[in-house]
Amino acid sequence: MQSKASYLIGKTVELILTLLVVSLLVFAAFSVIPGDTARVMLGPDATESQVELLRAELGLDKPLAARYLSWLLGLLTFNPGKSYAYNVSVSGLIAQRLPVTIGMSIIAMIMVILISYPLAVLSSRKPGRLGDQICSVIGHVLFAIPPYVASLLLILLTSSVFSLLTVGNYVSPSEDFFEYIGCLLLPSFAVALPKIAMSFKFLRSSIIEQKSADYVRTAKSHGMSDLKILIRHVLPNSNVSSITIISIILSDILGGSLIVEQVFNLPGLGRLLLSAISRRDFPLLSGIVFYLALVTVLLYFISDIAASFADPRIRLK
Amino acid sequence: MARAKKNSAEKTPEASVFYIVGLVLLGIVVAAFIVSLFWTPFEPDATDAASKLMAPCASHPFGTDNFGRDVLSRIMSASKYTIFISIAGVAIALALGTIAGIPAGYFGGFTDRGIMLIGNSIMCFPGILLALVAVAVFGASVGNVIWALGLVFAPTFARVCRVGTMEIKELDYITHARVMGVRPLRIMTFHIFPNLVPQLLPATVIGLANMTLFESGMSYLGLGVQPPDASFGKMLADAQAYVRVAPWLIIFPALMLVFYILGLYFISEGLRISLSKGGK
Repeated sequence: MQSKASYLIGKTVELILTLLVVSLLVFAAFSVIPGDTARVMLGPDATESQVELLRAELGLDKPLAARYLSWLLGLLTFNPGKSYAYNVSVSGLIAQRLPVTIGMSIIAMIMVILISYPLAVLSSRKPGRLGDQICSVIGHVLFAIPPYVASLLLILLTSSVFSLLTVGNYVSPSEDFFEYIGCLLLPSFAVALPKIAMSFKFLRSSIIEQKSADYVRTAKSHGMSDLKILIRHVLPNSNVSSITIISIILSDILGGSLIVEQVFNLPGLGRLLLSAISRRDFPLLSGIVFYLALVTVLLYFISDIAASFADPRIRLK
Repeated sequence: MARAKKNSAEKTPEASVFYIVGLVLLGIVVAAFIVSLFWTPFEPDATDAASKLMAPCASHPFGTDNFGRDVLSRIMSASKYTIFISIAGVAIALALGTIAGIPAGYFGGFTDRGIMLIGNSIMCFPGILLALVAVAVFGASVGNVIWALGLVFAPTFARVCRVGTMEIKELDYITHARVMGVRPLRIMTFHIFPNLVPQLLPATVIGLANMTLFESGMSYLGLGVQPPDASFGKMLADAQAYVRVAPWLIIFPALMLVFYILGLYFISEGLRISLSKGGK
């Protein structure tokens, strides 16, 4: 059996290699851009010497490998250079937008856990009952609704039925923390909906599987109460596999929030990304893309490690 | 374990229920597409200043939008892109995934590690991020969306192929073929690939659904299908400004989109159930 240390080392090597490939992918994508960046920035009227000057200033005249290294070093030291369009540092721009995206992701994740766990436990008590079937059907439907469509439908619902429309109002957390949470609730719910369905479906089948395991029957024959079996044995065992699912859900939530921000007009990373795309602001774009991928890589890394600590058998695989 | 399987088989609904509901939902969208090839009630792009934002009525069953365009006709013509992009994208993903996944599973070792490293790296870009990058660099067009999404989805298929191949290559008939001197390429193409089809089938159907989720999201952001062509995502984006005055602009495209995705999910669920029963 692999020891804890060698498993950790193996995973860390994998993490570094993955990051390397991710950074190469991002860099390659932005190095094959058709057209001369300096020429595009200065416009067709600029003289050749002006273009050369800007190329030197942006470091575009250096060989590809040198540019890759300096770009990667810049990203890893959180100093990825200046945005073409805004002419301020990329990390500053990203940091400014983080509260929205991170806040939404955290709230959405809390919603997923708070709603899917109780429903899955209730549903798996008597699988096949009417309540369980209704939950499963609703789960299927929710799973098929893209987050941005869910946002639109929620906006429709809140504006026509409850006539409380708060789309477009954003309050920064430093101004009023509760207002900030309040304006993120609806978008977070829209992002969370399909993931609630996913987490519910997964947990339900995992709990049902655990419940038919031999150790549960043994515990029952020892006279343990159902609730105690559920809390002490079934849930911890279904948790191990849900650690992996949670990291996938978190990454999906992050990806989904990029679009939903646009629907609700929230100044988050998604909107910054879109403005970077439309202005062809590649330093900013590559920075956002790399950091978002970095967060996901780290999430998967942490979840792998956490799962292996919770269930040492995983290290055998 | 055998007991658990029996229980779940008893308590989940029959596969045929999923097939029927799935095919009906999918059929609505496909029928709209087929009819739109020959006939739409109005020209999808024809504007009519006299009938702007009309609520659903006899001549415009699904209402009209802010340019007076008939929503029903636009929905019918939009289904074309949804179906086309999802099929083309999944075809690319399937081809790439199979070409990468089977050798990874068959040879193992460094080939496996290298291929999976690239696959995992692609999967580390959350949601539509990588496809957005491709569109940002190469421009927004249907072709770019298709190959970008095909690339994004390839690792999913590669994983399915890899795991399946690892199981199949341990079977006796593969060992036998190897002993007889059949070349690896021939083993992979004629002896392994056909046996992966039962596993690839549900993955393909789910892939079509997920591809549509991503494509419509990109079209919503204005980075997918370009106007004046209609797509569900773009129609929803345009409708957002009229959410209070013209909710039908949101409801009908959203319904069609969800019918398509849900229909595919149900069919894949049916496939999953009937395949797991058949395999028992």
